[in-house]
Amino acid sequence: MDAVERHTWVVPRTVLLVEDDDRVRRALRLALEDEGFAVDEAATGEDGLQRVSASQPDVVLLDVMLPDTDGFSVCRQLRRISDVPVIMVTARTDSHDVVAGLEAGADDYVTKPLVAKELSARIRALLRRAATAGENGHPHRRIAAGELVIEPDQGLVTRDGEPLALTRTEFRLLVELATAEGRVRSREQLLDTVWGYDYFGDSRIVDVHVARLRAKVERDPAHPKHVITARGLGYRLAV
Amino acid sequence: MKTRRDREHARRGLWRHLRVGLRDRVILLFGLLGLVLTAALALTVWLLVSRYLVNQRMNTVVDEARFNAASVQSGLGQYGLSVPEVMDRLATSRSSFALLNTDGEWYASAPRQGPRSLPSDLVRLVHSGVPATQRVDVEGQLLIAVGLPLDRSGDAYFELFQLDDLNRALSILSLTLVGAALAVSVVAMAFGRVVTRLALRPLAELTSVASAVARGDLGARLHGEDDPDLGGLARSFNHTADLLQRRVAADIRFAGDVSHELRTPLTTMLNSLELVQHRRAELPGSVREPLDLLSEDLRRFSRLVVDLIDISRYDGQPGGDREEVRIVDLVRAAADATAGRPVTTVEPAAKDLVVHADKRRLERVVANLVENAELHGRGCLRVCVDAEGESVRIAVEDAGPGVPVEQRDRIFERFARTGPRRVGGVGLGLAIVASHVSWHGGRIWVEDREGGGARFVVSLPAEEV
Repeated sequence: MDAVERHTWVVPRTVLLVEDDDRVRRALRLALEDEGFAVDEAATGEDGLQRVSASQPDVVLLDVMLPDTDGFSVCRQLRRISDVPVIMVTARTDSHDVVAGLEAGADDYVTKPLVAKELSARIRALLRRAATAGENGHPHRRIAAGELVIEPDQGLVTRDGEPLALTRTEFRLLVELATAEGRVRSREQLLDTVWGYDYFGDSRIVDVHVARLRAKVERDPAHPKHVITARGLGYRLAV
Repeated sequence: MKTRRDREHARRGLWRHLRVGLRDRVILLFGLLGLVLTAALALTVWLLVSRYLVNQRMNTVVDEARFNAASVQSGLGQYGLSVPEVMDRLATSRSSFALLNTDGEWYASAPRQGPRSLPSDLVRLVHSGVPATQRVDVEGQLLIAVGLPLDRSGDAYFELFQLDDLNRALSILSLTLVGAALAVSVVAMAFGRVVTRLALRPLAELTSVASAVARGDLGARLHGEDDPDLGGLARSFNHTADLLQRRVAADIRFAGDVSHELRTPLTTMLNSLELVQHRRAELPGSVREPLDLLSEDLRRFSRLVVDLIDISRYDGQPGGDREEVRIVDLVRAAADATAGRPVTTVEPAAKDLVVHADKRRLERVVANLVENAELHGRGCLRVCVDAEGESVRIAVEDAGPGVPVEQRDRIFERFARTGPRRVGGVGLGLAIVASHVSWHGGRIWVEDREGGGARFVVSLPAEEV
């Protein structure tokens, strides 16, 4: 690890709370600060978007129910300006809210009532670096997969030499598949390694992220050549 | 004394006992009615026709016998012919023969025939001077015996007529009538089949629509509201379904509203309290106990709200995300994670079984059962996965006091309390389990574990990969 990385646990990471309920926001701020995060607050979607560009938070916690606009469209607008990890706060776990949030670009979701301790575990999982090559003793690794070239340490992926814009979580998912060297990774394994769920993770998170990843790395996402579905088992990266 | 209702009940009981459906009953009754009516008709026809034919024949044979008797009389008396000559001259047909009793001797026009062929009553009557006829049944063949006294006392002329053609005609007639009766009953049964199908078609539609509604397709409606006979049923059914649909939609909306309204303040409370708990050491000893009580019950309350919303949400939802799940992996992960130690044992037969399931709900089933064993059953002993025919069985065993027989169904109801055993537990967990299991088309029950404790068994339809 380089020097900047080693400081990540010393300099507090900033969480932007976008939540309309004043008391919830205050309680979460207090509890997250207690867990060691710096907290920035926004009460509306509009305000939240401004804060993202102004203060560059490390993670955004975005409530689906907002007074001015719904959280999904805030998330879509946010994705145009930033690749910051976004955790959606949904009131329900049923398909519509969760899938809509993930498709809008969220990296993960939590349901109310959320507790700061669990929330900080989710945030820390999202802030981990992509499968660190440094640990394996290959500091400047390049992985080639078809037209794709992935450089885990630089956070870079190119297709035919052209850089692709992935969010951090999409990139970590791609690296995780790439390090499997063509073997199948199950949804559970991916939930564990990319999102830090030991179990009880929601496999829809993986499926929606794979769809988002394909939309960016495949020339024809309907007929993927790189990220292949192994039916009933999981996903693999064609090498 | 048996009342009318008892009898009615006994009758229905019989049908039910024989497992004969409404339709089959109607068809059988149609057939039976056809058989009875045609049998009565056939019997009448047979009686009338046979009587007419026999009478007709009787007149002919009596005339013939009379003619022959006169000829015998004149042959013996006027012309002084011998008996054989007289007998030769008789105009007996092939189907009859004559017997003559004169001077105490019997003469027959055919071999191997004698007075024994005649009924003795008839012979006696004729000898006393009365002409008589009688039907005789000889080895199943109907014969007519005609006896006529002759002028010389003691003499008598008898003639026996075989009725072969008549017998044949009657047997053809009876065969035809029996055949017709059977054919009519078969036709009646076929007719009954058609009629019942027509009559029961609306019932079949009602059944399919009602079961669609029961499955959760609340938009299903009956057609034929304008049918004069069935309109009432269709209208009231559809009206009920409308009400149900509106009610369910309102419930779901309410659950959603409650969800938001309760979860938001819970979030504030949980997080604030967590912060206070972190500073527990800085607090005076006197507030620590109330703080612990508060945080413990807040956690329970929060769990209860989540469960309550969960169960009301799934109630109105027929659909869901289904995928093929290797049941062994799911059970092992969920059970071990909930118990915090390895508790899962897998029988080899269950190793490759796949369930078409909503993963999150099934995880909830396993987690809730293990949690129940941990909290109320003095700890989960083991979770066993085994194959059983076309299904997989997941058995969660504990070492607790077990569940009394009379409470084994109630325990899966919402907020069921089963005595002191469930102190502190407000039971929604098992109700959620039961609801999720039945959503997957499975069954759940509780039994005694060998050696004490309870054994909760979930059976789910499964297939090999």
